Amino acid sequence: MSAQHASVRPFTLLSVSALLAFTVGCSKPATPGAAGTVTAPVQNALSSQGISVSKLGDLSAFRSIASDVATLVDTGDLSAAKNRIKDLEVVWDDAEAGLKPRAAGDWHLLDKAIDNALGALRANKPNQASCKTATADLLKAFDRLQGKV
Amino acid sequence: MITIPTASYSNWLNKVPEVTLSFWIIKIMSTTVGETGADFLAVNVGWGAGVTSAVMATLLAAALFIQLRARRYVPWIYWFTVVLVSIVGTQITDLLTDGLGVSLYVSTAAFAVTLATIFFIWYRAERTLSIHDIVTRRRELFYWAAILCTFALGTAAGDLATEALGLGFTRGALVFGALIGATYAAWRFGGGAVLTFWVGYILTRPFGASLGDLLTQAKTYGGLGLGAMLTSAIFLSVIVILVAVAQFEMDAVRSSQAIE
Repeated sequence: MSAQHASVRPFTLLSVSALLAFTVGCSKPATPGAAGTVTAPVQNALSSQGISVSKLGDLSAFRSIASDVATLVDTGDLSAAKNRIKDLEVVWDDAEAGLKPRAAGDWHLLDKAIDNALGALRANKPNQASCKTATADLLKAFDRLQGKV
Repeated sequence: MITIPTASYSNWLNKVPEVTLSFWIIKIMSTTVGETGADFLAVNVGWGAGVTSAVMATLLAAALFIQLRARRYVPWIYWFTVVLVSIVGTQITDLLTDGLGVSLYVSTAAFAVTLATIFFIWYRAERTLSIHDIVTRRRELFYWAAILCTFALGTAAGDLATEALGLGFTRGALVFGALIGATYAAWRFGGGAVLTFWVGYILTRPFGASLGDLLTQAKTYGGLGLGAMLTSAIFLSVIVILVAVAQFEMDAVRSSQAIE
């Protein structure tokens, strides 16, 4: 029994590390494509707009979704706005570990503003006035952090 | 091969695995997979934090029920329970922080005190905190209570390091990795096995989270940019292989005993 243990364990650990090395190695070349959905817009937006960057880094990719949401709210299409703000929720949540350590206080400020806008749009009977306030506040929070106000 | 010292242990066998390298690998990776999975349900699927927490708590209750009823250590049940404890432990901290606005300093201190209290009561009742002799229902309940608490504490302490010290995942992985290394060294040089085990158990929570972030986060943020899906798939494969091997070894031992 102990002989079996001695042979199985190292074999398993070897195959596991081989799998890890293989997968990480193989996915390297593909990474720009895989991660591009999040990173590419961020970098493009940064280079094209050249706006001032907050302590959290470049937030223009997030702000541009928020601005889409605000436009949809203005046109009165609250359900389209609700769909669009989910995109912001997903990318914001994905980037938490990368952004938050840069400036936790600023991150919480934006997180709260996003939460408020999500709450307004996801209310049982969303009210255009409160959605408008929440999205306007959200855009203001972005602009304040990027030093534009 | 398993010696049962007194008759009072009746027909219980040890309910938890031996602490080996593969134990720690599965434990660390469970943390990442659990967190990514819960996040996926809450945000991408759109269940929200409340529904996800309720579903996970229910699943945990079911898993614990099966684990407590088992007469011996069954790898897949044990590790399924650990993954769920990891998720629920994390959610308790998140609920306190985001839902109730409790400061991370307060929650870290409160979980540390709660864990110390669990150990105190456990020791008072059993005269041992050994994790090699989880052979009675009462000890097993102490064991899982302590584990749930270490995940909550590990989450709170890890988040505190991020918030207060601005410790990102790269430095986080290095710092927590070094602390785990120091704990391992302390154990090798004669430190108490029980104490070093639990210290390691707490530290592997933020270490697992940092490691997961390092792989998943976009390159813009200094990660490897593998994304949550691929990272979880890799980790889950590793977990499944290691647990399957443990299950296979266990079955092999039991059938060879049956032949004897």
